[in-house]
Amino acid sequence: MSAQAPTADLFRSERMRRRRIVNWIVEGAATVAALLAVAVLVIVVGSVVSRGWGALNLDFFTKTPALYSGFGPRPASGIANAIIGTLIIIGIALLMALPVGILTAIYLNELAPRRLAGVLTLAFDVLNGIPAIVLGIFVFVFVVVGHGQAAWKASFALAILMVPMIARSTQEVLALVPVSMREASLALGAAKWRTTLSVVLPQAVGGIVTGATLATARAAGETAPLLFTSALYSDSISYDPRQPVASIPMFIFTSAEQADPVLHQQAWGAAAVLIGIILIASLIARWFADRSVRRLKGER
Amino acid sequence: MSVAQERATGPAALQRRGRFRPGDAILYVVACAAALTGVVLLALITREVLTEAWPAMQKFGLGFLTTQAWGDHHNTLFGAKSFIYGTVVTSFGALLIATPISLAIALFLSELAPRWIRRVVAPLIELLAAIPSVVLGLWGILVLGPFVTGTLGPGLHGTLGWLPIFSTEPTVGSNMFAAILILTVMIIPIVSSICRELFASVPQELKDGALALGATRWEVVRGVVFPYARAGIAAALILGLGRAVGEAIAVTQVIGSRVAINSSLFEQGDTLASRIAGQYQGADTALQIASLVYLAVILLVFSLIANLAAQLIVRRVAGRHQIR
Amino acid sequence: MRAFVTRRKRPLGVLTVLAVAVSALVAISVSGAQAKSNAGELKGAGSSFVAPLVAAWQQKYQAARSVKISYNPIGSGGGISAITNKTVDFAGSDAPMTPDQFNACGGCVQLPWALSATSVMYNLNGVKNNLHLTGPVIADIYLGKVTNWNDSRIRRINPGVSLPDKEITPVYRSDSSGTSYNFTSYLNTVSKQWKSQIGSGTTVNWPKGAGARGSSGVAGLVSRTEGAIGYVDVAYALKNHLKFAAVQNRSKQWARPGLVGIKAASLADRKFSPTNALSIVNPPPGKKFRKAYPICTYTYVILRTQSNQAALLKPFINWALTAGQADGPQLIFQPIPKIVVTRGQATLKRVHS
Repeated sequence: MSAQAPTADLFRSERMRRRRIVNWIVEGAATVAALLAVAVLVIVVGSVVSRGWGALNLDFFTKTPALYSGFGPRPASGIANAIIGTLIIIGIALLMALPVGILTAIYLNELAPRRLAGVLTLAFDVLNGIPAIVLGIFVFVFVVVGHGQAAWKASFALAILMVPMIARSTQEVLALVPVSMREASLALGAAKWRTTLSVVLPQAVGGIVTGATLATARAAGETAPLLFTSALYSDSISYDPRQPVASIPMFIFTSAEQADPVLHQQAWGAAAVLIGIILIASLIARWFADRSVRRLKGER
Repeated sequence: MSVAQERATGPAALQRRGRFRPGDAILYVVACAAALTGVVLLALITREVLTEAWPAMQKFGLGFLTTQAWGDHHNTLFGAKSFIYGTVVTSFGALLIATPISLAIALFLSELAPRWIRRVVAPLIELLAAIPSVVLGLWGILVLGPFVTGTLGPGLHGTLGWLPIFSTEPTVGSNMFAAILILTVMIIPIVSSICRELFASVPQELKDGALALGATRWEVVRGVVFPYARAGIAAALILGLGRAVGEAIAVTQVIGSRVAINSSLFEQGDTLASRIAGQYQGADTALQIASLVYLAVILLVFSLIANLAAQLIVRRVAGRHQIR
Repeated sequence: MRAFVTRRKRPLGVLTVLAVAVSALVAISVSGAQAKSNAGELKGAGSSFVAPLVAAWQQKYQAARSVKISYNPIGSGGGISAITNKTVDFAGSDAPMTPDQFNACGGCVQLPWALSATSVMYNLNGVKNNLHLTGPVIADIYLGKVTNWNDSRIRRINPGVSLPDKEITPVYRSDSSGTSYNFTSYLNTVSKQWKSQIGSGTTVNWPKGAGARGSSGVAGLVSRTEGAIGYVDVAYALKNHLKFAAVQNRSKQWARPGLVGIKAASLADRKFSPTNALSIVNPPPGKKFRKAYPICTYTYVILRTQSNQAALLKPFINWALTAGQADGPQLIFQPIPKIVVTRGQATLKRVHS
């Protein structure tokens, strides 16, 4: 049957026009907000790169900070001790956090009763939200008081930060591993622990790497725990984890507030190095995450 | 894996079946121990921090929270009032600015943007979250500070100076306003990424239904998406607030370290976390250290409550709407 | 199925190799480092006031005796805290330790090892160096009673200087600072209101202004803020090319924080306290102190009487008290008087391993 043409114009009425204007304003505002956030990112990263670029020479990466009295020619100076210190601290932190995080994920995903797993996951999520400065005070009170600062104590504090992230990332990937694979392994007579370690876990490697790199990226930039555990460091390169070592975040923190513009430039350079590390870690994490999820989803 | 399957293959079950594998027990114990570290650490942190703060808690009691002093009377009187004020003003100020922006970004990324823009912009916003706080503080000192004293501050003071919050002249780059701006930059990625996932999880049928009834996209968001995601948005805001409250490094670099309560945002101040960060290294008396840890106790209590609340909301919402 | 299994093994294998490599690296560094930590090294921390001089000493002493000295300028309070907690071998403090701090330290001695001045520096474009300021005016600036650089009180003592209409921002030390102790002790002597309302100490309740960490932090904040005024060891003001004031002393002279002014002030107190403390703030009027700069201070090194590093520590401190003083003048550290050296060496005898 033929439809009758509507007598009221659906599109050009006053009310409709107002609604469309409101919609247009809101959509515009949303776009502006997103552009604003991207602009802030560009401004910050742009400042870091443009102001720090001049500091990134060979001396910067190979020399240690040189004392400058303010008079006479300036000696060559760099942040080699801070770079090595950060690598040591993060390396030990990873060694501490990876096994705990992976085992936690295994327990919560494979072995624990559902209710308990929920409570324990909640505990880790709450732990994740504790401010880093409070963690710093905890580690200070727990292991530093009376015994002195040390790089491994800084690693301990950072490991507390990293474990929830690694556990969560591993858990997510473990959950994606098809049940059929576990069943097949058990049906072939393998023990549960064999199944978990040799069949399920290798499939989750992508998630583990994702979590580890993201956790590393976050821990590399944390300064607050370092204030309490590895702040009294010397200007020379040190490999001893039982002593406080220099670190890139601490270098930036102390250099930023000083009056010397050359130190400022070095701080920007160090910030550029830090952001570079984080950027590369994020890209690796994303690539691994995409790859493992794609592979696991493809297997189903 | 269903509970029944777990029960059928857990160590108890294997024991029943008479095929006890020591490897299973070892893995179970080790993994269980690892999983318990979360709870153990929470308890340990609470206990150690409370113990260290105890001398100050005993001496000042709850009056600590209403005393505005730090090191007065020859290092014998300490109080957290001005820092609680500073924390509240900077965190809520940052949340106030960040909320509409974050929601707008989340909307943009989940509803409005074409796929290729989404793929570019989303990682950029995640990268904003990854910028370390010390780098943001460096930027705050050397770039934002001069901008606030040179351009933004005089502009706000000139036009809106009748408002108490802009009533004094911004002469120093280190002030509460700079801290609020830095915290806003930190909160936005967190809140917007959580909200984006929330908005994406709204069932398409509900949105389609509204569209079919002739709603504009904004009306769909206002009428369907927001009410649906209401609890989740609250959780995201709480998490963002928690992040702002706990931020020590970037804030201590730009806030000016002053024990004072002023209505103007262009004055200096201090927050709980930033006072701890600024003073801890040089604290030379036991009472001063205990007072600083007392500040940490206040932070810890707030963060535990806020995080717990946010996580419980998230779990309830997830359970109801079957996310994850 | 075999290809499937092989593909899975590779990432796990990579991870294992990586983990082993990292552990090996750490193990090697730890064992290697064990040998290194036995080399001669002294650790110090504390006063940022004396840090420029200690930096000069670090270079000289390492070249002369092959002993490495590391020093962290975390502030006098931090130094006292560090030596109390035994995390350093020596600490620097511009504020003499209180009896409570001695008790907490449990077997510590202090002795003055350097002498310099706290300059009052300011950031004002177009205004000359060595602006005249009096003690009461400085106190009122920090109390918030004098708020603008073109205040009549500042103009009156600076005839012929055109002062801009700029708000004064007082900058102070937010951390526990011996320089704060020196500066506030001086303000106590020139302003009754300051003495009753604020008092002196390493940490006080600053009524106005912005705080910064460390001497370099104060220098940094002042250099970034137009119209700011701050107090810092004169070496920092010179190093960062900041202007500092000529402060009026009790002999009504406008004294500058230079070697002449410091040397004149050092004669103000020759009577050591039982713990070797000397106070030379605001010397009295008189011919001897005509050129004295009123905000000078001795800075102390704090040592434990029982120290595993005594064999390295004692020669270093002795060297600092004697030969090391020659490095002072170019950083505006006046060599300490003979009686201070003798007293210091006598106290040093109490340190044993």
